[in-house]
Parts: sequence; structure tokens; C-alpha cells
Amino acid sequence: MISTRFVLKRLLLLVPVLVGVASLVFSILHLSPGDPALTIAGERASEEFVRQVEESLGLNDPIWVQYGRFLADAAQFQFGESFIIQRNTTVREVLANKLPVTLELALYGQLIGISLGIPLGILSAVKQDSITDHLTRIGALAGISVPIFWSGPLLILLFAQVLGWLPTSGRISVLYNVEAIRVTGLVTVDTFLAGNWDMFVSAVRHMILPASVIGVYSMALISRMMRSSMLEVIRQDYMRTARAKGQGAKITVLKHGFRNAMIPVITVIGIQFGGLLGGAVLTETVFAIGGIGTLLVEAIKVGDYPIVQGTVLTFAFLFTLVNLGVDITYSILDPRIEQ
Amino acid sequence: MSAPPDPTDAASPPVLERAATRLRLVGTAALAGALAVAVWLVARLVVGDFSASVETTFAVGSLAFGFGLLGWSGAVALGRGIESMQAHLDTGAGWTEADARRAMARVLGFGLGVMLGATAVGSVASVFVAA
Repeated sequence: MISTRFVLKRLLLLVPVLVGVASLVFSILHLSPGDPALTIAGERASEEFVRQVEESLGLNDPIWVQYGRFLADAAQFQFGESFIIQRNTTVREVLANKLPVTLELALYGQLIGISLGIPLGILSAVKQDSITDHLTRIGALAGISVPIFWSGPLLILLFAQVLGWLPTSGRISVLYNVEAIRVTGLVTVDTFLAGNWDMFVSAVRHMILPASVIGVYSMALISRMMRSSMLEVIRQDYMRTARAKGQGAKITVLKHGFRNAMIPVITVIGIQFGGLLGGAVLTETVFAIGGIGTLLVEAIKVGDYPIVQGTVLTFAFLFTLVNLGVDITYSILDPRIEQ
Repeated sequence: MSAPPDPTDAASPPVLERAATRLRLVGTAALAGALAVAVWLVARLVVGDFSASVETTFAVGSLAFGFGLLGWSGAVALGRGIESMQAHLDTGAGWTEADARRAMARVLGFGLGVMLGATAVGSVASVFVAA
């Protein structure tokens, strides 16, 4: 049973993390070259108009006033309107549209990584130094070594161009209007909820390649971690005792070994989520999926500061939430951790 | 440096004493930051663009503050785990959660001092300019 005190302590720790990230974002944007007012007004705008824009954005106020206002707005998740990318649209709305795209990709990628990585890691450990173990380790090494910007185009070439089994890009076929049935923003879930089988199949087919690219990388790390952790656990005395008492090998590994071996693996899964969000930027670019990663890169390029601030803080918030989940999972797996 | 005192230990210092130690740790760093800013901005007042310097100094302070705050919370959240991992892998290099926490508290304090110093100097200067 998880204690409320433990969860509260972890939740409280989110506050300094988010204030720290907000301060970093604020300072980096203020130290980087470029004038937001000039960016909005345009290169040919009159000086008077630029001054008006500065006034409306509060850029004429002292920097400490701007900092305080920024922290207060960030606490309410208010970052104003996008300067350039989607003018007259609030950052909240822009993120609400783009975030599900990246989340869907990262979640399916993580799902593939966990569902393949854990069994492969266990198999590799149980059958140490066998051909299965060697193949799994080579596969894991390849998965970690191959960068997404290379594996993505290769998979497109094989499965979309040569074999023609899967689509090359996008989230769903252009024949369907997914906005009409939008509920969660996750295309596979929305099409399923709408009960439209053809749309659902199209969404799943579009998701397979990008999720696999992210998932293979994730799987490689998880299986390697699972293997080494399981190898250590199966050499423990309690495992030998369970076997000596006549318990079957499979049950001993799955009942006694799995839970203990999972603790370091959970850490990797949590830390990796940040990497998955970063990896989603590349995957979204390769597969032409307009998610939050692509949005961030574009916003940095054109100097759309509100979008940059909102996106970075959203990433930080998601990452800290996932790590809170990891901490809670730890305490479920091993209640001593709470102490 | 030694590990932090165990709160369950009867010999650990009382809460007020610990709070005072922590406050001293952050406070002295903040004072150093504020002094450094005062010297720097006075120098910039003589030579250079003063108002731009105040803005840049404040931004640098918030950078140090944000970095320190992130590092501190990272040490609090993950420090014990990293210590255990080092012990487990037998790769300990003398890094401890307590040391990291103290170091980050110093950075955080220095950043805070710079921000407060820049705010104070900037406010005083704006009053003089207005007068």
C-alpha cells in the first residue's frame, strides 16, 4: 500500500522542478538574440508600431516584473497567443491540438518497447549464453546503435515502397476527416470510439511504422536492462531455495524473480520517456506527422517564444509526471523504498 | 563530505538548527551573488549600457537559479537511487546525494542573490533616472 505522505512529498517536489524549468526557459529566451516585438511587427514595420507591440506584450516593463508575470502565468498554464505559427490562437489551444499526436506516438512506442523488451530480456537471462541469448543481445545492440533518422527511412523503403504493406506518412488516410470525430485527439482511440472500422484500420496502419521505430530503440534498452537485472536476481539465495523446495523453473522466475528484477527496469522506462519525447521530434519529421516536437523546432526557428515556453514546460511537466509514476511503481514493487 | 543526518536518529540536530544551517548555506551564496552584481553593475554604470546590463545580469541570475533549483530537486529525488546504483555497480567516485544537494543549494542561492541584486540596483537606478 502506498502512503499518502510519500505521494505528497513526490508531488511537492514537482513544484521546484517546474519553477526551475520555467526560470531556465525565461533566461535562455531573454539571453538569446532577437526581438520578439520586431518579429511580430515584421522587418519593415515602423518604429512606432514596434514600440506599440512592445507595450502590448509588456516588454517595456523591468525584467523582474516580466519574470514574476511569466511565473504567475506559467502556474496557470497561460502563455498568451502564438506570435507567428498560428496567429491569434492561444498556446493552450495549439498545444491541445498537437500534444495528443506526440503522446500517441510515444505511448505506442513505449508499449511496443515494454511488451517486447521485457519478455526478450527474461528469455535472454534464463537461456544465458545460448543462441537465443546471443540473437537477443545482437538485436538489442543494433536497436540502440541505429539512429531513428536512419531506421525510419529504411523501414519506409522496405514496408511502404518495396512491399507496399504500410503507408509512408501521416496519421490517417486523407480520405477520412478525423476532426469530425475528435474526442481525445488520439486518432486510433477516436476512430475506435466512433465505431468506424475502416478509419480505425487506417489509423493503426499509419501508426505501425513510426511507433515501431521508437519502440525498437526503447525495446533494446529495456531488454538489456531486464537481462542484466534478471541474471542478478536468479543467482540470489531465495531463488535457489524456491527451486530446492520443488517449485518449477518458470514459476520461480515469474513469481519471485520478475518483481525484483523489474525495479531497475522501471527506472529505465521512466528516464527513457523523456528520450521518447525527444525521439518523437525526429520520428514526426521522418513520417510527416505534425506533433509537438515538430512544433517546437519550428517555433525555435521562427522565434515564436510563447510556443517555445509552453512546449518546453509541457515536456517538463509530462516528464516529471512519468517519474512520479515511476516512484509510485517502485514503492508498489518494493515497499521498503518508501522508507 | 559526510552523509546527511538521519532524522530518526536521536543524535540528529533539531529542526530549527537544521533549518538555520540550510538558510546559512543559501543565504551566504545569495549575499555573494548580490555583492558580485553590485560591483559589476557599478562598473557598467561607468562604462557601458547600464539598463541592458541590468536585464542581462538578471537573466543570467535566473539561469543560475533555475539550474540550481533543478539540480537540487534532481538530487533530492534521484540522489539516493544514484548512490545505491554506484554502490551496487561498485563504481562509486565519492559522489553523494548530500554533497550534490548542498552544491546545488549554493548555485541556487547565488542565482537568487544575482536576481535580487539586479532588481535592487535596477530599481534604485530607475528612481534616480525618474528624479
